[in-house]
Amino acid sequence: METIRLTVNDREYDLVVHPHETLAQVLRDRIQLTGTKLGCEQASCGACTVWVDGQVVQSCITPAMRVNGSRITTIEGIAPQGGGLHPLQEKFVEKGAIQCGYCTPGMIMTTLHYLEEHPNPTRDEIKEALSGNLCRCTGYKKIIDAVEAHVRNEPSAKQAGDEFKMVGHGRPYTEAGRKACGSAEYADDIKVKNALHCRFHRSTHAHARIKHVDIAAARALPGVRAVITGKELPVTFGVLPISEDETAMAVDKTRYIGEIVAAVAADTPAIAAQACALIQVEYEPLRAFFDMAESCEDVGTDEKIHSHGRFNNNIHKKAELRFGDQQEGLKRAVHTASAELEFQGINHGFTEPHAATAWWDENGLTIITATQVPHYLHRYLAKVLEVPMNRVRVVKPFVGGGFGGKSDPFPHEIIIAHLARKTGRPVSTRLNREEVFLTNHGRHPTRMSMHMGMDADGRFEVLDADVIIDGGAYGSFGVVTSYYNGVLLQAPYKIDNFGFRTRRVYTNKPQCGAMRGHGAVNSRFAVETLIDRLAEQAGMDPCDLRLRNFLDEYSMTVGQYRITSNGSTLALKSAMERSGWKDKHRKLPRGRGIGVGCGFFISGSALPIHWNEYPQSVVHLKVDLDGRVLVTSGASDIGQGSDTMLAMVVAEVLGLSLDNVQVVAADTLLTPIDLGSYSSRVTFMAGNAAKMAAERLREQVLDAVVRITGAERTELNLQRERVFTNDGKVDHSWHEAIEMATRKVGALNATGHYNSPKLGGDFKGAGAGLSPSYSFGSVIAEVEVNERTGHVRVLDLWGAHDAGKALNPLAVEGQLEGSWHMGLGQAMSEQMKYYEGLLVNANLVDYKIPTTMDTPEIHTEIIESMDPEGPFGAKECGEGALHPVIPAIANAIYDAIGVRITSLPMTPEVVLNAIKQQRKQHAEA
Amino acid sequence: MNAPTLPVAQAKYLLPASLREAADMAAQHPGSFRYVAGGTDVLVNRFQGNEDSTCLIDLGRIPALKGIARVDGHLRIGALETLDRLMKHPLVLADAPMLAEAARSVGAPLLRKTATIGGNVLCENRCLYYNQSEWWRESVGYCLKCNGDICIATGGRNACFSELVSDTAPALIALDAEIEYTEGEAVTRTPLERIYTGDGVAPRNIPPAAIVTALWLPLGRGFTWAFRKLRERQSLEFTSLTTAMTLDSGGRIKIAMAGVDPRPVVVEAAATDDPEALVRKAIKGARAIDNDMFTRLYRREMIGVYLRDSFNTVTAARM
Repeated sequence: METIRLTVNDREYDLVVHPHETLAQVLRDRIQLTGTKLGCEQASCGACTVWVDGQVVQSCITPAMRVNGSRITTIEGIAPQGGGLHPLQEKFVEKGAIQCGYCTPGMIMTTLHYLEEHPNPTRDEIKEALSGNLCRCTGYKKIIDAVEAHVRNEPSAKQAGDEFKMVGHGRPYTEAGRKACGSAEYADDIKVKNALHCRFHRSTHAHARIKHVDIAAARALPGVRAVITGKELPVTFGVLPISEDETAMAVDKTRYIGEIVAAVAADTPAIAAQACALIQVEYEPLRAFFDMAESCEDVGTDEKIHSHGRFNNNIHKKAELRFGDQQEGLKRAVHTASAELEFQGINHGFTEPHAATAWWDENGLTIITATQVPHYLHRYLAKVLEVPMNRVRVVKPFVGGGFGGKSDPFPHEIIIAHLARKTGRPVSTRLNREEVFLTNHGRHPTRMSMHMGMDADGRFEVLDADVIIDGGAYGSFGVVTSYYNGVLLQAPYKIDNFGFRTRRVYTNKPQCGAMRGHGAVNSRFAVETLIDRLAEQAGMDPCDLRLRNFLDEYSMTVGQYRITSNGSTLALKSAMERSGWKDKHRKLPRGRGIGVGCGFFISGSALPIHWNEYPQSVVHLKVDLDGRVLVTSGASDIGQGSDTMLAMVVAEVLGLSLDNVQVVAADTLLTPIDLGSYSSRVTFMAGNAAKMAAERLREQVLDAVVRITGAERTELNLQRERVFTNDGKVDHSWHEAIEMATRKVGALNATGHYNSPKLGGDFKGAGAGLSPSYSFGSVIAEVEVNERTGHVRVLDLWGAHDAGKALNPLAVEGQLEGSWHMGLGQAMSEQMKYYEGLLVNANLVDYKIPTTMDTPEIHTEIIESMDPEGPFGAKECGEGALHPVIPAIANAIYDAIGVRITSLPMTPEVVLNAIKQQRKQHAEA
Repeated sequence: MNAPTLPVAQAKYLLPASLREAADMAAQHPGSFRYVAGGTDVLVNRFQGNEDSTCLIDLGRIPALKGIARVDGHLRIGALETLDRLMKHPLVLADAPMLAEAARSVGAPLLRKTATIGGNVLCENRCLYYNQSEWWRESVGYCLKCNGDICIATGGRNACFSELVSDTAPALIALDAEIEYTEGEAVTRTPLERIYTGDGVAPRNIPPAAIVTALWLPLGRGFTWAFRKLRERQSLEFTSLTTAMTLDSGGRIKIAMAGVDPRPVVVEAAATDDPEALVRKAIKGARAIDNDMFTRLYRREMIGVYLRDSFNTVTAARM
């Protein structure tokens, strides 16, 4: 070991380090400055950026020995001593540049250094400067806005009285300051004393029987405390009770390359890794299935991936529904269009890798983990570990993005819980980026054929879809995905003759699951590009055609979705107007084009995954003599701002500032159950539960004031932290009112809940996609295409999304911009590429999340349709916005060069091949 | 976190203050040392297990490796100059603007703050089947470049086609740059293209203990130039095809390409030659295979597109 001296944030440290340790390891593990984040460990995300002697470096690839004697500045050293934030940090907070916050420290360190060298950059220069820092939440827009505002020395927009403005007023996340300073703790930042470190031995075979696992050498390595294999955890799990087909580790056979076969708990991560390398597994290879079409076929004498299932193939789920009369619809159709399409799988790409720590004490298991679904994890930890639920506590710390990728119970969580029980010690783990990709649960690779027909008046008559989705090795949310690919096509347009068939197949690849826009992104692409074809055939404007076919508000779809508020028309008209659509479509010079797409999405699933009568969300409030309302909720803030939303809803009802509201969320011991952050349900469901709880608390407080002051109940107001009558005869502070209300009874409690109304038809599959409310949106994209290389540059995106009512417009914009950016990634560059079942691009260089320089200007508008059942009229905004952006880009490419793209991503190569294909066809014709 | 697994007793990180000291250190650790300049390539390769030298010799504190100056009718660039400094340096912008542009195309801004010009020309060749974790390479069955028996990317050929991914090397070569390195007392100066072997397993022929000290660019050649890089994103990318073309005042065209062969593909011609013949020659010289996120066919096709564009650019600039 070597001794080095570092001055970090003006404090001197003498440290003994391994000669090859990195600066990031030293900062995070030895001096607990965990504001420096590790997103990739390969210098391809920028989250670990710090300064060494005033120079910016990526600490994950900076040897600690090199910087011996240097002055290091980390994110923790940026804010002024004595409190407060650096002006740039303030701008990040104020402008909503912080969502999950995991990229924030790196963004701030990079920006501040850049501004020292370039104090007056243009917007494009800022983009270039930040083009090595990946963000998955914001679409970069608000980050660049924040930097620009800082450069311009823009005064704070804060005004007196802002503290009482809640619903409808943009507000930074309550914890944004902490995230800006690097003090917000994510799962891997929480260092539990005396913890062991867990690493995994992963399968090198796609489909093979496990003949023998030799763990003797691993177990004998000094520092190793436990080595376990699949046989110790044989109980199956899966986020859906109807497909509990997974075990924590491979038991008898492995189903994908990368599946965990054994796990080690050791004194250090290095020893654990070394022990994993000593584990020898004897495999007997089986025929592996990588192609989804092949998985639909009879396997003959070969072994199926899963033994369950009635037929001798690898089909996991078939879903088929038909409404109206498709044959009749086809007959009436004057214009028809059809396409065969192919979509690569994609990954959530959240910046924070999975991490967790677990320990046991007299209260049973506690696990701190980066999860979107504490409740489902709670259930399955109890099931697999074979303990009652009252022996399990799941705690969610800050989470660095999820997008559906942290919405399942995961093997690593179960394994460390088991290892902690077995060793009697806390056990931590942190996946590296490759393991994050292998864990996957991303969007399904998809093949589909889609047909649509339209009558002479431009009314959609018929839609038919035939879809195969590649589920990979296990079930995850796949049954839901199967349905969503079909059922989520019955809006936003009225189509009476509608049907689909979906098959989800198992293959020997990492499993797919739910990802932002779940299940309907690819089929939405198909529909929206077919509509573009129909419009052209009929000589209609594609926007006008859509406007003609939108479902009315307060209507019913053919599959009996209850449509309530509907901002489709407003959203599309907004995008048309702002983009100058009428002046551009089919009028731009060749090589430049504009295109449109629309979409809709659920605001939470009306049906629960676990069939019971428990509400979908429960919120508790408590207030005591200090006057501060404690809000407890199981809802998981994963960077989308749900904690802030809950606080704002409660503060709105009670007339409080946020100084008198604090949210404790997502701790299964302390907080009532919420089903989790998936299916865009939290604002609608937890928001409603919070509103109900706050209204009930309000009643209790006002009742007490009436009782004690004799005021007329109907005369009392509760605003700006005062209880008063308009005539001024009664006027008490919130604290006085609470003192009155707690006399003799003590602290007040109130509970609120949300149950979805009974919805839907009485046919099998009617429940899929049912939601108490639906969001609607549109995107128009303008592109430039290089016909010689196939390169497409997206120049501008104009998006509009009906969020019902934006409780926190700043957060809603952030969700929309993030959704559009994620769609841009799937559209242009992202794909999971396999070689014989082995993922080839499991890193952030070859998996291509768009950088600042690849992201066009995004023009955002929120549409408010005031949903009758949403809290204050609010509904979904975190997923649905993604749907329209991808087809909008494809349609823009068509407008630019007259070529239809039918596969994603639309890489230069794909586009160029399509151009050539068309030239060939024209030549033949 | 992947903490270093190497036993502490063997692991060393040395920081020589002079070339002589660095050479001595190297001599004391034959076969087990590795020079580190910026480290942006070496450290990532170490994370993946593709680089496992026990002794790392950091050249960052050797003053002789720095400096950008006009010397003897050349622009001399110290090997340890960072790409960020180089791309903004007034002498580079004046004498070799193509090199500045090439430097700017490397990776992303954060990386260019640390990555050096010497490191970039010596950057390890890449392949989708090689730049992977130890576990991954075990799963695929280890390729030639990591002591396996066959090339996985080509489905079994007995040669390694990992790509040269340096963006500055083709620019430097097109500018007729020389590389200077020292080994002991001996100083060698040779045209940059000569250090590349064309063998993906051992892509450079510089002796292991030699230290690259500088790059020399001839001045006054009156180059007009064109530089292109194929990548999916505008930033944060290794190259899939880099083309650099110059036309000197004598009417001589020089093309150097990276990303399509284990070595730089160099084609020389006269401005009066048929551009199509030149394109054919370049494509023929590029042993591109499917080891990149772009396919071999697409990259080969882009060679033609880029070179035709570049040809027009360099000849138009002359007129």
